[in-house]
Amino acid sequence: MHPLFSNPGRLTLYLAAWIPAAALVAIEFATVGNLPWGAAIALAGPLALAYAFVCLAAWYPCRATPLQTSGGARLLGTHASAALLSAGLWIVLASAWARTLASMGYTTAFERFSDQVPALFVTGVLLFAVSVFAHYLLISYEAARRSETRSLELDVLARDAQLTALRAQVNPHFLFNSLHSIAALIGSDQAGARRMCVLLADFLRDSVRFGGRDQIALGQEFSLVRQYLGIEQIRFGNRLTVREEMAPALEGALVPPLLLQPIVENAVKHGIAGLIEGGTITVRATRTPSELVLTVDNPYDVDRAATSGTRTGLQNVKRRLDTEFGSAASLRIIEGDGKFSAEIRLPLKIIDEKTPDVPTSAKATAGPPKPGEGGKVAPASGATTPTSARVGVPQ
Amino acid sequence: MTTPLRVAIVDDEAPARAILREYLGLDPAIEIVAECLNGFEAVQAVANLKPDLLLLDVQMPKLNGFEVLELIERDVAVIFVTAYDQYALKAFEVEAVDYLLKPFGPERLTQALERVRARITQGQPKPEHKLAARLRDPRSPVNRLLIRDGANVHIVPLSKVDYVEAQDDYVSIHAERRSYLKEQTMGELETALDPRHFVRIHRSFLLNIDRLAKVETTDKDSRVAILRDDTRLPISRSGYARLSELLGG
Repeated sequence: MHPLFSNPGRLTLYLAAWIPAAALVAIEFATVGNLPWGAAIALAGPLALAYAFVCLAAWYPCRATPLQTSGGARLLGTHASAALLSAGLWIVLASAWARTLASMGYTTAFERFSDQVPALFVTGVLLFAVSVFAHYLLISYEAARRSETRSLELDVLARDAQLTALRAQVNPHFLFNSLHSIAALIGSDQAGARRMCVLLADFLRDSVRFGGRDQIALGQEFSLVRQYLGIEQIRFGNRLTVREEMAPALEGALVPPLLLQPIVENAVKHGIAGLIEGGTITVRATRTPSELVLTVDNPYDVDRAATSGTRTGLQNVKRRLDTEFGSAASLRIIEGDGKFSAEIRLPLKIIDEKTPDVPTSAKATAGPPKPGEGGKVAPASGATTPTSARVGVPQ
Repeated sequence: MTTPLRVAIVDDEAPARAILREYLGLDPAIEIVAECLNGFEAVQAVANLKPDLLLLDVQMPKLNGFEVLELIERDVAVIFVTAYDQYALKAFEVEAVDYLLKPFGPERLTQALERVRARITQGQPKPEHKLAARLRDPRSPVNRLLIRDGANVHIVPLSKVDYVEAQDDYVSIHAERRSYLKEQTMGELETALDPRHFVRIHRSFLLNIDRLAKVETTDKDSRVAILRDDTRLPISRSGYARLSELLGG
């Protein structure tokens, strides 16, 4: 159904817009057609009103042939035939009305109505064209409003995802297990217990601090990952080894905060924790000309029970990437043969505004300036050869 | 009451074992007979050392705490020790004596140990063997079979199983040219498996449908399933109906 019928206010406005049209037709009848003014108005008023409703039909062809996707020939063909048909219908209505008025005893002036037919037909076509134009305006206005609603919804989703990430961050079980480890260390290794308290406090403080931002530097994200895995290394001992690879030039790349957290958590929970011998979690940042590529690799037990891993963490990451970057970012999971790999690709944006994400840029400087490190030159091949690797050793 | 309580600690995390060792050291009537780092070791320890009590973590490599219970003779008291509270109900259903949430203090463990001693002196009925197996969540998919062979545990992925044969109170699981005996009835096993892949073709045979090569009709009403490796299994009349339904749909 036509959207105007569901909105009385707008329908009234639309009909009011037809008063000038009615006036125009009346003037046409009075001057060109030499009808008396009274007769001209009696004829034109109801005709304009009827045509107002006929022209609402323009909504259907407008909807069927969207401006953006339909060719010019198709647009012209569709609307021209609709206009001719509508104008024709109007003429039929007009003749009937003229005859009715004549039979009601009005002057014979109406008998001269047939002289007015060509002019009336042209007017009808023009009015229909105006209606088509108005309908396209209405449709694009509605589309704009819908996309505004959609962007608001996306906003809410993004905030939701952030909250979820934050909640996953301060995963109570992670906290309980860490506190249990601290309680254990107090009995045997007081210095170790103290160290773990500090690690845990640093991690919690940073995750709350960074979690509230829209974007953080990759260097900060990696530091969060390092703190988290450092705590888990106390729990798992030599079963957990961490390997970190990031070209220094990528330290200033911007990422949503805590993006890697659910993935790293999964790597521990569904990977290392299920292996008697444990294994190595590798966190790697590389780049293509336009993308930042983050990968987390971990081994897992091929015989593990099917119930392990509901994947909500990974789904949250995917949802976050979708809301923030749309199709420009992706999360790919490769799983098999005891190896699990999660790869995130997102648009590369480096903090230094002088060297934006230009593909040929060989001078991307590391984000947070450090003494003696400002303006360090990254190799153009930084995407494939990581220039720094850190191997974590359990305490 | 003078004989010490023989305890096995089962946890894959070193700090968690250390704190139990420390707390248990406060009680002179406790003897730690084993420290197990995973479910395999726990099954072995129970078979070889017959402890009175298992202090059992839930999430561990290879076998989780409940799977350990599924595999052992249940003449041992169990206290679960975990950071997760969502297993508490299940722990109660497998008649665990207590459920300790990490982190906990020495008083809480003492309280749990008192319950264990009370249960032992009162000589309460032992939890029924294989209870855990029946309590498996029917919604969670089973993708592997756990089979105990003395002190060893075999994990057989379902995709490797050719067929299962009933043998009194046991089932014989045939996989990769080997067969494993598991103490479970055919009916129990059948309900745990995905009916889209495993079909009961005979009172005594459960077939992995992927292994079926062809069905041969020998007499007018007797049929034989021929497997990819040329094994021949009998098909009963109702078994044939089930098989046809599965293959037809």
